[in-house]
Order: sequence, then C-alpha cells, then structure tokens
Amino acid sequence: MTQDRSEMSEDDDDKQSPPLDLRSAAIAEPSSSSSSSSVVVVVDSTPNKSRNCISSSSSGSLTSQPFPDHVLENVLENVLQFLDSRCDRNAASLVCKSWWRVEASTRSEVFIGNCYALSPARLTQRFKRVSSFVLKGKPRFADFNLMPPDWGANFAPWVSTMAKAYPWLEKVDLKRMFVTDDDLALLADSFPGFKELILVCCEGFGTSGIAIVANKCRKLKVLDLIESEVTDDEVDWISCFPEDVTCLESLAFDCVEAPINFKALEGLVARSPFLKKLRLNRFVSLVELHRLLLGAPQLTSLGTGSFSHDEEPQSEQEPDYAAAFSACKSVVCLSGFRELMPEYLPAIYPVCANLTSLNFSYANISPDMFKPIIQNCHKLQVFWALDSICDEGLQAVAETCKELRELRIFPFDPREDSEGPVSEVGLQAISEGCRKLESILYFCQRMTNAAVIAMSENCPELTVFRLCIMGRHRPDHVTGKPMDEGFGAIVKNCKKLTRLAVSGLLTDQAFRYMGEYGKLVRTLSVAFAGDSDMALRHVLEGCPRLQKLEIRDSPFGDAALRSGMHRYYNMRFVWMSACSLSRGCCKDIASAMPNLVVEVIGSDDDDENRDYVETLYMYRSLDGPRKDAPKFVAIL
Amino acid sequence: MEGCPRNREIGPKLFDLIPQGRKWYQEDKNNIDQEKKLELRLGPPGGDEEDRSAMKKKNNNYTETRNIKMESEDKSFQGFNSNHFSSSNKTSQKRTAPGPVVGWPPVRSFRKNLASTSSSKLGNESSHGGQINKSNDDGEKQVEPKREGMFVKINMDGVPIGRKVDLNAYNSYEQLSFAVDKLFRGLLAAQRESSGSEGEEKPIIGLLDGKGEFTLTYEDNEGDKMLVGDVPWQMFVSSVKRLRVIKSSEISSALTFGCSSKQEKMRH
Repeated sequence: MTQDRSEMSEDDDDKQSPPLDLRSAAIAEPSSSSSSSSVVVVVDSTPNKSRNCISSSSSGSLTSQPFPDHVLENVLENVLQFLDSRCDRNAASLVCKSWWRVEASTRSEVFIGNCYALSPARLTQRFKRVSSFVLKGKPRFADFNLMPPDWGANFAPWVSTMAKAYPWLEKVDLKRMFVTDDDLALLADSFPGFKELILVCCEGFGTSGIAIVANKCRKLKVLDLIESEVTDDEVDWISCFPEDVTCLESLAFDCVEAPINFKALEGLVARSPFLKKLRLNRFVSLVELHRLLLGAPQLTSLGTGSFSHDEEPQSEQEPDYAAAFSACKSVVCLSGFRELMPEYLPAIYPVCANLTSLNFSYANISPDMFKPIIQNCHKLQVFWALDSICDEGLQAVAETCKELRELRIFPFDPREDSEGPVSEVGLQAISEGCRKLESILYFCQRMTNAAVIAMSENCPELTVFRLCIMGRHRPDHVTGKPMDEGFGAIVKNCKKLTRLAVSGLLTDQAFRYMGEYGKLVRTLSVAFAGDSDMALRHVLEGCPRLQKLEIRDSPFGDAALRSGMHRYYNMRFVWMSACSLSRGCCKDIASAMPNLVVEVIGSDDDDENRDYVETLYMYRSLDGPRKDAPKFVAIL
Repeated sequence: MEGCPRNREIGPKLFDLIPQGRKWYQEDKNNIDQEKKLELRLGPPGGDEEDRSAMKKKNNNYTETRNIKMESEDKSFQGFNSNHFSSSNKTSQKRTAPGPVVGWPPVRSFRKNLASTSSSKLGNESSHGGQINKSNDDGEKQVEPKREGMFVKINMDGVPIGRKVDLNAYNSYEQLSFAVDKLFRGLLAAQRESSGSEGEEKPIIGLLDGKGEFTLTYEDNEGDKMLVGDVPWQMFVSSVKRLRVIKSSEISSALTFGCSSKQEKMRH
C-alpha cells in the first residue's frame, strides 16, 4: 500500500515522525516536565561530550557511574540494526549517552524535514554511516507561487558535504529543493554505489543533469522525477544510460517536458530486466507505448504517456492495444493519460481488475467514458481523477471500490467561479461506499455540512482530510451557514486525523473545534478563514501534536501569534501570509526565541509599510539563521 | 480596478442577506459590478465589520496604501503582491469578486493548463531555460530561473552530454577555458574509456590558440560560427549564443558556414 502511494507525489509521508527528528539535539521536549529549561545542545563530534537534554534524571545517574561495556555496545549495535522507524530510533537515542552513540553510528537512513533546521556539518558529525537521505526544502505554499523564486533550499551545500562524509551513499530523496545540474554532476561523481534518486517537486536542473546521473551512476536502480520542473537542455539523456544491462527498477519521467529518443528508450527498456515501474512523459505516443509494453510485460507500475497520437493512424495497421495491456498481467498501478484520446481508453480494460492504484488526474474524462472502466476496478485503493467525472462518476467509484483508501479529485478548471461538476453529492456517495477511506483531497465549488458530517461518521479511518471549496468564504450552499459544523465533526469523529485542510466560510467556532478535538493533527492548512485572533489561539492552545501550520489570508494578528510562543520550538514550521501581523511582534518573538528563525518575506524594499508583514515563515533551527537568504528575505 | 475588489459583486435581485449577530452573509450567484450604493452593510463604507479588531483596521489601512502604491510601481513581483493584498482585505464574510488571487485555488501550476492541453495536443512547448506550464490566470510574474546568470549551452565533440556555462561568472577567455576543462575533462575521459581507448583524464588545454587537441568555437547571434578569443571579452559575451568544443583538426570544416573574414585573417 505504501508502495503504491509512493508512486504519486505524497504530500505528507511522514506520518509517524515524532515532533523532532534529531531529537537528542532537541529543543524543548513536549513530554518533558522540565520544559522550561528548553534549548540546548551542541552536538559535538566527541561522543563523551554529547548530552541529551531531556530528563535530567537519566543523564544524572549515568555520568556518575563508570560505564564498562564495550560488550554491551556491541550487543546494542546488533539490536539497533533492526530498528528502522525513525520514531523508534529517536526514542532509543534518548535513553542514555551510550545508546545515543550507538544509535548514531548505526542509523543508515536519515530524514530531515526542513533543510534549514540544521547545517550539513551537524548531520555528518552525528551520523557516520548514512546510506539513505531524505530532505525537504521549501514550505508547501511555495508550490502555489506564494513565495518568490530563488528563496533558497539549495541542495548544493548538502551534496558537497555528503560527498566527503558518505562516499557509500546510495539513496537521495529530495522534496521541494533547488537542485542544479552541477549538484547532480557532483552526486554522480562522488557516490560510486549510488542507487536511488528521487526528486519530488524540485527545480533548478535540466536534462543535462539527468544525463550525467544516467551515465555515471552505474548501479542506478531508481530514477524518479516526480512533479519537478526539468528544463529542456536538448540533451538525449535516455541515450546516456550505459550500454550494458542496467539495474533499473524504476524510471519515472512523466514531468519532463522534453521530447525523448524513443528508440533509445526502447533499447533501454529491453536491457533493463528488473524494470518494474515506468512512467513515461507526454512525448511518448500510444503506438510507442504499445511497443514498450510488448517488450516489458513484467511492469507493475505504468505511466502511459500521452495515450494519443499525432497523425491519423491507418486503421488496418492499428495495433491491438488491449492485447498489449492483457499481456501486462502484473500492472497494478496505472497513470499518465496526459493527452488522452478517449476512444482508446477501453484498451486498459484487461488490467482494471488488478489495479490497486489509478491516476486519471490529467485526463478530462466524462462520466460515460469513466463508468465502464471503474466498474471493473474492485481492488482499487488509490484513485486520483479530475472532477470531470462528476458526481455520477464518484457514485460509480463508491459502488465498486470498496477497498478505496485514498481519493484525490482535482479541478479541471481551477477557477473560483467555474462550473462545479462535483459537489456534496459525490462526497456523500463516497463516504457511504468507501468505508475504509483514509485520505481524501477534494476540490469542489459547493459543499454542505451534512455531507462532511456524513463522511466523518462513515469513514472513521480518515487520517487526511483536505477539502477545498474553491470559492472563498463560501458557506454551506443549502443552509447558508458556515462550514464550522462539518469540519468540527471531522475533528471530533475522525480520531486518527493527522492532517487537515479547511476552506469555505469558517468562523472562530470551527477553530475552537479543531483546537479541542484535533488531538493528533500534525498538519493544518488554513486559507481565508476565521474571524479573529481567537481562532488561531484555539489552535495554538489546543492541537497538542501540531507540527506544520500554514495559514494564508486570514485575520490573525500579533496577539494570536504570541499565544503560540510556548510551542514553536516543538513545531517544524509556521507559515502565515497576508494575515495581520506586524514586524514588531515578529521581532519580539525572534528575540525571545533564539533558536527560532523568523523570516519575513517581502517583495523588495518596502519602506512605506515597514511594519506590515506580508509573509512570515518561521522554523526552529539548531544552527541559527541561514547564510543564503536572498535580499527579499529579512531574518529578524 | 485591481486595487479595490472588495465592493463589486452584488446584483440586487440576487441578494440574500442573513444578518446573524454581527455578521453578514452574502450569497451571490453572479458577479456583476454594481455601484457601491446598492450594497447594504452594517459597517462603515470601508467594508469593515463592526467587531473587527483594531489591528485589522490598521491592516486595511496598510493594504489600502499598498494597493495604491502597487498601481504606480513596477516591481518584479507586482502580480504576486497586489493580489495578495487585495485578497487579505476583506477577510471573511464577503465574497470577493473573481479578481485573480495568487495561488488560489491551491493547485500546482502543471495542473492548471489542462483545459488547453486536452483540446490541443501541442500543449505547452517547453521553452529553453524557462518555466513550463505556468499558468497566468493568477496574474503572477513570469519566472525565469536564472535571471542573473548568462547561461549558454556548450557541447563537445565526442561527448553526448551537453552542459551549460554561466558567462557572467567569468571575466576572461582564460577563465572560460579553464571552466571548459573542468566541465568536460571527466566526461571526455569516460567517453574514451567506454570506446576502448585509455580513459585517463587529461586536461583539456590549448582551446584558444589552436595548439591543443580541441578548440573552442561559438555561434553568435547572427548564426555565424567563430573561433573563440578574437574579440574583446565583453563583445564576445554580448554576441555569443552557444559554444562548441571541436577537434582542432576539424577547424576549417567546422567554420565553413559563415566564417567571418576577420577570423580568416587572424588564423593564418
């Protein structure tokens, strides 16, 4: 299941992470009784000096006793090898000095949720045997152009530090980072055993960088470019893979907006016997797809490219697409359809019954085209589509896809006043038919509290609820009331909820519900909502697990911001744009909390309105403010 | 009127005012511009509600000033800003007119052009060095990823992978030559290794004087292919469009098209 999810860009994939990822270098432990003496820790390279700042009792008792056991440490090392989850590892590292040391020397996969929370040097000082590295950069609202370009999140310092420290590095997984071709070249040069490169929502590089990776990383198993901006340097990167049999298991380039050399691709697929996942871009036509399928029946995950052709095909020569699909008995994950010619859609019938994941979110499919397909997809667990399937299509999903875990409905026409083909009717149907639903992202033009309440009652497994009513401040379109009760029911009834995005007309009451009932909520996205500071205060004074808070265009001011000071060290970040914050208040917070980096992002120089804060982005950092901030960022 | 989108939307027959305590809810089904006097509200003409905090009022002042400023200034993020402010104003209760708001609805740019790509298969052609599939409905600025660098493509004979160099990073031909060596030395060695000859890395020298194994050439803005090094550096930078490292033995044939007479003179 998780494997399927990683096929598509996953917005929140760290469901199990604790509040802090480098916990023993932590700043204020939420469960600690001594939270008043927060801040700490310098992670020294000499283990003897390292401390863990948590309960003073544990460190106290240790320093007084001689600690004999190299034997014990060996045993510990062997045991800790089995700990994979970073939650568990973070906990283990807090037990005592010795455990900290051993854990640091055995951790092979490191996750860093905010690239500015620490410096690369700190990483390499603590962890010595890292082979897999996950790093996230820009905050999510940067995806929607709320942040000027060149803000930062550069991969360069990380790759250059790791090049020296971890020559055995095998995997790099980046999200929202700025990666240049030179960074990729350095990566390809420095890590001879490199196996997996995953770039999600990244930018700054082009096909020439990809070519270098393809050419030099001889052990490459995974090259996944997902929703990234890749400039077309007019380089035939597919031809740059080595001539002999490759180790490739996954190749995803659907986001690369550049034509590719199909002949080279065909050759590459032919000499990649381990290839299981292949996601083509829209420059691969249906005919070419057909040829690839014939050569790669072992595929489990397929991104179909354009699913159309340019010229009029001769009908007698038209390939039997359905036959090619039937030969692919292992395909369980299907995506692509970038320029779908709907008359060819029935070709996928043979694989429908096996599908666990289906992504139609680039295909403008009408309900009539859609229903015959979905009626076969009994095993479907992950489904992404455009709202062009209408409520009717969603009803069909609800009737058939009883195993559905994740649903995402995107707007075909993402404007506030466009036609709304999906509504509360679709949501209600899904809630009744898909009881195992865990994650939903739903864009619509109209919604009712009743449907949202129904979903809260019918789908107790929900962990992610993101509803985007596209018209700002839009109330329940039947009753005219705010959407408070709907979202309130979600936080009350969905006890496992960790991620929430709200929309529509919302008063402070909605936030009162969130603060009181959102016990496990880690990520909260708010836009055009609330009436007053009280709303934000409810959230900051409640929601004990809140980690990531992103707010835009809501009337929250200084008093609200101050009310959260007791917890900003326990959060990954706070984003507030177009709210009512003053620079003075942000400065106060910055002075009161030295390990918090408070960035005020403006547009050039703003002499007249120096006090108004357009965008606040603040996050904890172990290594102080960053040195690479552009001029439009003021670090207070 | 980007500055003041707050008070635009209501048509009289479609009013649905529901006074609830201190709040107004207006449900409008159509967004026609109307004169302000047709609007009914409790607050002062600025559109604020009675119970707004002082800070919000203050905020409105800022945004008012800012909106006016926006129209007279030409900033690179103008689209980015003015929309920001125009939307932050009215905060909750009023439906704002469909003035575009940056980043709303929160759909990533590559998902925004579906309406056009599905009808024509050309889609968005990728532009060299530019951002692809960025929608303009939000009125945001055009983004160029490398605004301050001057990147030109550079290819080398025998190496399938092209690179890019930022000419603004150098001040002289020597520096450029050195950079070319750095960029291609490894790649060239790898190519040679794969084709059977020795793969030892040798420095790429003599690019400018015709004495090395390779020579650096360029294509200028008129499409002429020239040897690098003859004109003053700044003149070169202003006219170069792309670079190519060719085998010195093939200089004469490579420069056959549009070889400038000046070059011929200088190169015996």
